[in-house]
Formats: sequence, structure tokens, C-alpha cells
Amino acid sequence: MNKAERLIDLIAMLLEAQRPVTLERIRHSIPGYGQATMPSFKRMFERDKSELREMGIPILVEPVDAFGEEMGYRIPKEEYYLPEIAFTQEEKVALLLVNRLSSEEFMPLSREAAAALHKLSPDLGDGSRQVQTRSRYLRFAPPRESAEGLTVLWEAAAGRRTVSFVYHSLGKGKGKGKARQREIDPYGLYFERGAWYVVGYCHLRKEIRSFRISRFESAVEPVHSGEEGPDFDRPPDFKLEDYSRVLPWEFEEGAQYEARVLFSPRIAWQVEKDLGDAYRFEPSEDGGGILQVTVRNEDAFLRWVLSFAEDAEVLSPPQLRDSVKERLSLMLGKLGGGGDA
Amino acid sequence: MPEPEGKIQRLLAVIPYVLKNQGVSLDELCEVFGVSRAQIISDLDLIFMCGQPDYTPADLIEVDVDGDRVYIRMADYFARPLRFTSAELSGLYLACEAVRKLSGQPASSALTSAMDKIAGVLEEGSVPQDLIRDSVEFHPPTPWLEIVGDLSRACEQRRVVEMEYYSYGRDEITRRQVHPLSLEFGMGNWYLRAWDGRSREIRVFRVDRIKDMKITSEGFEPPPEEEAEETSRGAYGAAAGGDIEVRLRFSSALARWAEEQPIFSRIEMVRGRLVCTVYTDNLSWLERELLKYGTGVEILSPPELKERLRTRLQGLLSIYE
Repeated sequence: MNKAERLIDLIAMLLEAQRPVTLERIRHSIPGYGQATMPSFKRMFERDKSELREMGIPILVEPVDAFGEEMGYRIPKEEYYLPEIAFTQEEKVALLLVNRLSSEEFMPLSREAAAALHKLSPDLGDGSRQVQTRSRYLRFAPPRESAEGLTVLWEAAAGRRTVSFVYHSLGKGKGKGKARQREIDPYGLYFERGAWYVVGYCHLRKEIRSFRISRFESAVEPVHSGEEGPDFDRPPDFKLEDYSRVLPWEFEEGAQYEARVLFSPRIAWQVEKDLGDAYRFEPSEDGGGILQVTVRNEDAFLRWVLSFAEDAEVLSPPQLRDSVKERLSLMLGKLGGGGDA
Repeated sequence: MPEPEGKIQRLLAVIPYVLKNQGVSLDELCEVFGVSRAQIISDLDLIFMCGQPDYTPADLIEVDVDGDRVYIRMADYFARPLRFTSAELSGLYLACEAVRKLSGQPASSALTSAMDKIAGVLEEGSVPQDLIRDSVEFHPPTPWLEIVGDLSRACEQRRVVEMEYYSYGRDEITRRQVHPLSLEFGMGNWYLRAWDGRSREIRVFRVDRIKDMKITSEGFEPPPEEEAEETSRGAYGAAAGGDIEVRLRFSSALARWAEEQPIFSRIEMVRGRLVCTVYTDNLSWLERELLKYGTGVEILSPPELKERLRTRLQGLLSIYE
């Protein structure tokens, strides 16, 4: 007899039981157990029971009667059944949108989320045609970058467990641009411009750092898997947003300084909206805007400014203007004189 | 660790769904539970074998597949699904939080109330809301969410939208009338798929490049179903394809970074160096991409791109002289 069948029969029996069911009765009632010898039935039942408990099925062990001599099993309905939830039409549409997102596996625990939404389906299902048509206008594309390791990282952040992985960092500094084993205390995750990052205390660099998940070159492993957690405390003043709202030129690399950049009217609106309130943006005379920012990583900043071509001009400091000039001349030199470069 | 959703868990969710929606089609079950038709049929066959002792025909669950329609009876004890495990609840709240943050209204406030309702029926303290807000952040293109909300209403009501759009590919701002068909979130941005009155074809627009928009009172008829289908992945960004083949060779310092750029249709190693190919119908945007890459990139073809970049660099230098 099929194991799935046996398990469904067992759940059905224990759910419907008026009183706790003895082992003996379980053995004689459910066809899958009947053929087994007593010891092998007991092993089988123990395995089945723990499997069901792992699924979250509440199996109680209670005395069968008032004398309390014989024990039996039952599943209390009130602990098993998910209560009915009356969602509005708008809420159903929104939850179906969540369903679309979790089916793309770009989140931590997205498979668990999909399973949860399946459990909610009786409360979402009626009038499904209408609901599904409406949620069709919004979609989530499959993720560009692998979301592998996200679940492990989130669980490690939630349970405060130290993890290790091989990380390929970019950049030019010492020790950059190659893969190294890292050990971090993960404090949290963030999603930015299509990519996932984890923020945590890096044991190698001895400071809080961000790591892009797509640059991991190994699986994420717990460092102290055998022991009880937690492995670390998150600093009480830590705020995820302090680390996640960081633009490429704000990752420390060298000295920091203030810079002013003039944007043309054609592009200023977009830059201003994109950067948000945290940045100082003043209107310029011609309808464009002047951005004032703190630069910590000049290379990243220049890349960003130059991507706007003539629509962005560095106003100050003078040495940054010189850097732009130098970079442009170098590029021009590399292009060569009309022939092959 | 058990599978997040094995066969048993699915069966325990399929039964209550059918009990609530008697006569549901096999197709709908496939869609709702994300499995194949063969899988659903084998699930139903299994349910048919289960029931209460003594498993006489009167004790078994009754499953009836009539043509395409599914009916289940004699399974009242499975009328409700099993409660969530704590991992499922965390996953559900993470996914809700993501959609709440990444999409505009009305989804965002509808989800807030849906999440409150779910928390309301479960025991206190079982919902990890604080833990989730504390450990995960989603950076939505916030200033654009209002536009996403407006556009989704325009899609639903099939209203013509007038907009001022900055085309990165052509580096120009144009006014257009579009018929909004759908919105898709991909690569960190929202994209609008719409029939474009200017080019008289279906185009994909990046929402953060819409400078201004207005929903008109004019309605439109959507194109036939097959045309309104899923956005192809290549349709994103400026690299929508074209006849001009551009080949770029990157220095080893930039190689890894170049691989992360979503614009290339081919990335290969040629004699130890990374060579990326992109197909486009205009070079204007590529000049700006190249300015971003600096000296770490070399143009292999076409020669015209080199000439254009040279002119561009000279023009830029004159600003700083």
C-alpha cells in the first residue's frame, strides 16, 4: 500500500476520532499497517508520526479514558484547521499577485510562501476567473540573478547564526577582485535594483559590510552547525536602512569629499526622483538641477556621472573636474588615431 | 528537512479547495496548485483510495471527475486546510511584504489589510511581522510607485494614456499616446507594456523614464490575446535587439562587473579576455554605456562606434577645458 495513502488515512482517522485512538486500533484499522509485525509496525508508526509532526500536524498523546492506564493518539480539529478568512475582492487580487511573486522563487522561503498560499486557496478561489483577470495586469519577471542561498541567509539572520561562503568581491583595492572565503554574522537582507544583498559583520574585514548574493561562489554554510544558536548579537543601534540605502559611490574606498554636479533639464527630473529625498538637489537657472553629494568612491562616482554624457557636468571640487578630464583624455588616447586601437 | 510542500501537503490543500468549489476544472487546479495535469490526476486517484475505517465504499472519499470537472464528497473532516508551519508563515509574510513595498496602490493597502486579517485569525505572537521588517528591506523605485498605481488602473479600465517619455536608447524626450496592456516588475524596475501610437506597435517602456503622464477619458480595444502575452526577457532596456552587432572586449579588472550588466546577448571568453556582444538598432545609448566603462573596454566593432565615441569624448572634454 502506498505510503501517502497510509498517511492520509492516519490523519483522517485521528482527526475524526471522538476519543484518543490506541496503537492497537491504529494497527488493525489502517490497511498499510496490518501486514507488518508488531516491532516493524511500531517503527513504521514512529516514522509516520514524526513526519506528520514536521508538516505541522498536531498529534496529541492522551489517556484513552479516565483511568489513565492506556494512552492513545488524536489530532484536535481546532489545532489542525486553518480558520476561515473572509478576504475582500481587493485583498484576493493582491494575494494572487503575491502568489505570482512566490512562484518565481526570487525571495527567501518562496517555496514555503507558495505552500502557504495553497492553503489559503479555498479562501481566494471563488470568482477566480474575475480575480485572475484583474491580477493579470501586474507581473513579476523571473529573477535575473540566482536567489540560491537566500533562504539559508534569511534564516541565519533571523536566528543570529554565523555563516561562511566564498565571495568574489569587485574593485581595485587590496585583496579585491578575487574570490575569498568569508565568515559573516548576517544582520539582514535587502533587495535593490534587481539584486539581493546581505549586510553583516565581516570577520575578515572586522566591520559591517554588504555582499551581493550573485557574487557568492559557494553555498552558504552555517559555521557552528552542531551547536545551539544564537552565535552573535546584532548591535542594538544597527539599522538595515543605514547600509541598504547606499549608492555605489558611497561604499568607502578612499577619502570622502563633497561634490556638485549640474544636470541638464532633459535629465535632472529623473535623477532627482531616482535619488529621492536623502540627497540635496537644487534647481538651476536653466530648469535643470544641481546635485550635492558626498563621494567616497571616486571611480564609481565618475562612472555614474559620465553615463549621463553632456547632460551632467561636475562643477566642483576642481580636482574632481581634473579627474574627469584625465579619464576622458585617457579614453580618447586609447581609441587611437582613427585606425585600430 | 521535509520538502516545503510534498504530496501530502498538496493533497491536504487540494481537497478543501475542491470541497469549496465543486465542479472546478482540472485546468484551474493545475493553475492554482502549480502542477501538471498528470500530477493532479494522480493526486485525485490517491484521494479516491483514502477514507475512514473500515474503508468500505461508504467510508471512502468520493472523487468524481466528470469530463473536465472535479467533485469531492465524503471528506468533511478535510474541509479546511492545515494551519501554516512557522516557515510557511514567514515565507508568506516575506512575499507579502515584498509585493507591498514593490507595487503601487491598490495592491499595497489591500495587502496590509490582508496581512492584518491573517494575523487576526492566528494566535498572537505567531506572526513574525517585526522579525521580517527588521531583517529584510525592499528598495522600491518609490517615487514611481504612484505612476505604477495609476498605470495599473489605466490597464484595468483600458484607457488611453498620454505621456512624456525619455528614451534612453535614442536619448530624447517624446510625447506619445499609448494603450497600456500590462505592467511587469523585472530587474529592479517596473516596465509598462503598451501599444504605442507613435511606432504603431507594442513596446516596452521603463516606468522611471516617464516624465509625465495623464490618463485620458478615451478607451481602447485591447489587441488579440496572443499579442498581449508575456513580455520577452530581451525586450527590457535599450538593448531591444536590432541589426547592428556591437562587440566589446573588457579588461580583466572589469570582466566580472561587465558580466553583471543586463544588456549583452552573448558573453564569451576569447583568448583569455571577456568579449560581449550586443545587438541594437541605434548606437546613441551605447556611447553613454561606453563612457561609463572607461578605459577598461575596447570596441572591436563596428568602427562607426569608435568614431562616434571619439566625437563624443572631444565634445565632453571641451566642457571641462
